[in-house]
Amino acid sequence: MPIEKSDLLQGTLDLLILKIVALGPVHGYGISQRIRQISKEVLQVQQGSLYPALHRLEKRGWLEAEWGQSSNGREAKFYRLSAKGRRQLASEESNWNRLAGAVSQILETAS
Amino acid sequence: MSWWKFFLPKRASGAQLDSELRFHIDELIEANIARGMPPEEARRRAMLEFGGQEQVKEEVRDVYRVRIMDSAVANVKSAMRFLRKSPSFSATIILTLALGIGANSAVFSAIDAILLRPLPFPEGDQLMRLEQFRRKVKNPLGRLAPVRLEDWNRMNSTFQAITGYYTEDASESSGMLPEKVTAAFVAPRFLQVWGVAPELGRDFRPEEEHWGGPSAVLISDQFWRRRSGGDPSALGQKLRLGELSLTIVGVMPSSFLFPDRDVDLWVPVMLGGPFSENRGLTWYLTIGRLKRGVTLGQARANLATVQEQLGKAYPNTDGDLGVSIEPLKETTVGGARKSLWMLFGSVSLLLLIACTNIVTLLLARATQREHEISVRFSLGAPRAAIVVQLLTETFVLALGGAGLGLIVAGAAARVFRTLARDLPRVGEIRLDARVVWYSLLCSVVVTILCGLFPAIRGTRRNLSSALAQTSRSQVSGRHPLQWLLVGVQVTLAVTLLSGAGLLLRSFQALGRVSPGFDPSHVLTFHITGSYAETASPEKLAQRIDGTIDTVRHLPGVEAAATSSELPGLAREYETELKFSEGEVNLERKILAENRFISEGYLAAMKIPLLEGEDCRRGFRTQEGGALVNRSFANTYFGGSPGIGRHVQAVIGSLFIGPGEIRGIVGDAREEGFDREPSPTVYWCGNGFDPDPFYLVRTQAKPMAMAEILRRKVHEIEPGRSLFAVKPLEEHLDEAFGENRLRTYLLSFFAATALSLACVGLYGTLNYSVMVRRREVGLRLALGALREQIVKQFLLQGLRVTLLGCLAGWGLASAFARVLSGMLFGVSPTDAATLSAVIFLVLAVAGAASLVPAIRAAYVEPMQVLHEE
Repeated sequence: MPIEKSDLLQGTLDLLILKIVALGPVHGYGISQRIRQISKEVLQVQQGSLYPALHRLEKRGWLEAEWGQSSNGREAKFYRLSAKGRRQLASEESNWNRLAGAVSQILETAS
Repeated sequence: MSWWKFFLPKRASGAQLDSELRFHIDELIEANIARGMPPEEARRRAMLEFGGQEQVKEEVRDVYRVRIMDSAVANVKSAMRFLRKSPSFSATIILTLALGIGANSAVFSAIDAILLRPLPFPEGDQLMRLEQFRRKVKNPLGRLAPVRLEDWNRMNSTFQAITGYYTEDASESSGMLPEKVTAAFVAPRFLQVWGVAPELGRDFRPEEEHWGGPSAVLISDQFWRRRSGGDPSALGQKLRLGELSLTIVGVMPSSFLFPDRDVDLWVPVMLGGPFSENRGLTWYLTIGRLKRGVTLGQARANLATVQEQLGKAYPNTDGDLGVSIEPLKETTVGGARKSLWMLFGSVSLLLLIACTNIVTLLLARATQREHEISVRFSLGAPRAAIVVQLLTETFVLALGGAGLGLIVAGAAARVFRTLARDLPRVGEIRLDARVVWYSLLCSVVVTILCGLFPAIRGTRRNLSSALAQTSRSQVSGRHPLQWLLVGVQVTLAVTLLSGAGLLLRSFQALGRVSPGFDPSHVLTFHITGSYAETASPEKLAQRIDGTIDTVRHLPGVEAAATSSELPGLAREYETELKFSEGEVNLERKILAENRFISEGYLAAMKIPLLEGEDCRRGFRTQEGGALVNRSFANTYFGGSPGIGRHVQAVIGSLFIGPGEIRGIVGDAREEGFDREPSPTVYWCGNGFDPDPFYLVRTQAKPMAMAEILRRKVHEIEPGRSLFAVKPLEEHLDEAFGENRLRTYLLSFFAATALSLACVGLYGTLNYSVMVRRREVGLRLALGALREQIVKQFLLQGLRVTLLGCLAGWGLASAFARVLSGMLFGVSPTDAATLSAVIFLVLAVAGAASLVPAIRAAYVEPMQVLHEE
């Protein structure tokens, strides 16, 4: 069953977007497709969450945006990770790993 | 993104957002078609999957729009919450700023009203004061002959119009009793130059400005209300001024108060009268309005050319004359400019001290809030957002301070009027929108000055180190930055105190000076007279001498005399003189001040007669003679006996000489207490000034005689009025208004600065003691003596103070030049004053340090060590 945004921890969508964008410049449609593919259809991002999140990250200076040609020759807005975004990604990733580690430790130890 | 971009509003452009979203939908459609759906179906599914487009757009726009508003509101809310939580901290800062910003706004309101605002006339910056002067001596003739005024007005090309006026205190006798009125006699074009129209009625007609035409008068709003209760039927009624019968043709608006706020009437002086061709007259104070776009330099060059032409046409009267033009505002403001900027400078230093104080407080606060800030960082708040939140807190405090400060500024006008009633334009000082805006600007500047540094410093640590630092015990006990700020405060306070000290010493020195005459128990007053009386000087002299005689014989009166000017008040009237016997000595010019007195002046002023005899009576100086002071005798007699010689002006004058020198008198500071007596000639005789000052020496308090004098004068001169009754000491006191204003205000600012610096010292030392409690406790437990602890903290406070004092000494010496010209009897680098200031600062700082030092010594070792 796909997990939708409301079930994600707050801030997780930002982390996912940063991670995907870190792979290379990509447009909004591409991000939503990649999240779906990589999570094997478990995570589906609604457009109503994706675009506000993208603009929020751009405004914070973690993403930089540029208009360019998509693979089929159409004008699209491409997002790229900024240096600041890269630092943020690193710190959020380590936070997430600490949290996930802690949670799974509790689950294992307490069982 | 650079940090500053955070403050710029960003917006998602609508068209760009549209195409970004359209791209997404198109891709979805294509993917669906690729999966084999028919185009219609592919489109329908894509729209379904994408969801409400408008809703997405709205949410994206919210990212930019609503959040900025939300965060501002949230910041202010959280700032209020934070400030409420620490009321004493907030109150300290708000009160400090209320003083700093309030004093600053108060001085600004004076500077704005007096120096910055144009004069209260339409396009007031075009108004110029014009004067003529003799090139060869520093004798400001100033006033113009009517015929020359008309020449200037006709021949120049840079002025819209030139006009002139002179005032006379006259007696208006159309009512039951004569009333003293102040009448301005004006040249043609008077209202045109001011650009002001009568509130009621009309301006003068051309025929009313020509000899033989109907006589007209404009009245002031206050005269209108006083005399006819503001009844419009006053128009057309007649006033009586001596021989003149004048028809009221208009009422001026209440805001038009020129030449001064006492003016009652404006009477046109008619062209073409019997005196109108006399180029030697000195009647008019002259005002001109520049044409639009003409600069002061152009006007000066133009009028200089005009006067040169006149000099060629009339070499006898005009050959030697030059023209000076100054903006009317400059001549109105005069010397107040320097005092005001000096006060503004000191009040800005005061604000700087207040800011430094607040930075110290905020820095201490930031250390306590490290934990809160690191938590916010770990929750993902960007640094700029935290900085803005901290700045918002400071701004809310600054606004509070500015609000309270406006109450201080609101009282400023009253303070200025109380301390210096004669300050030019003092009536225009008020609390208005510009002052409120200025206070607001101050609070923004204060926010940046005080808030930015602590906010940036407080948020400097990166995430991991802030999280790691959880224990308070790691806070450093030494705060070089805080101590530096305390030192800066002491430095600035010492600078202000030195300035105040020097001004106070000057003021004291002025009070101790022996002026050479005795101003106590002297009553001064005027009796209305008209310049028309100068046509028969003999009669005029008889009238005034008669009045003096009557007054002199009243019981309680010791002496009575007249003088054209009050003693002790500056009025430079220097001319070049010569002795009638012998040739003019070209190498040694005789330059002297001229004062015009009646016989009896020496007795009234208690100026000693050193040699020879007193003045005699007469309507001309040929009969009255002249007296010279000791400086004149020492400088110009050159050892040979001077009494009996005749002295006269080099350039012929209506008033001066030739007169026989009858006596030598003691030097008196006639031109002001703060000036050394200069060579002076007293010309004796009445007959050229219809309204001199009457000086009456009384046995009892001067004002107690006022009513008796008024009744007696009315008895002998029923058509005249006695006015401006005032003790001489009050006049002298008012002359010191500006001096007193700057001395008192600077002393007040300096005292405030010192208390602020001490609060800063106390706070910093107290904080230092607080964070070092453990160390102190440990040392006490190990056997340290309490005296040692007290000494250590006391010395820490005094060391910083001493360094601040030394820096302040340097700064004060550097700024001493600002005070030059304001000091009397004390040098700008007076060592006694500076040492006294430093001693005072050290004493007060020692007292402020003692309390925290003693508190440190009484730490309970066991309790502190248990706390951890």
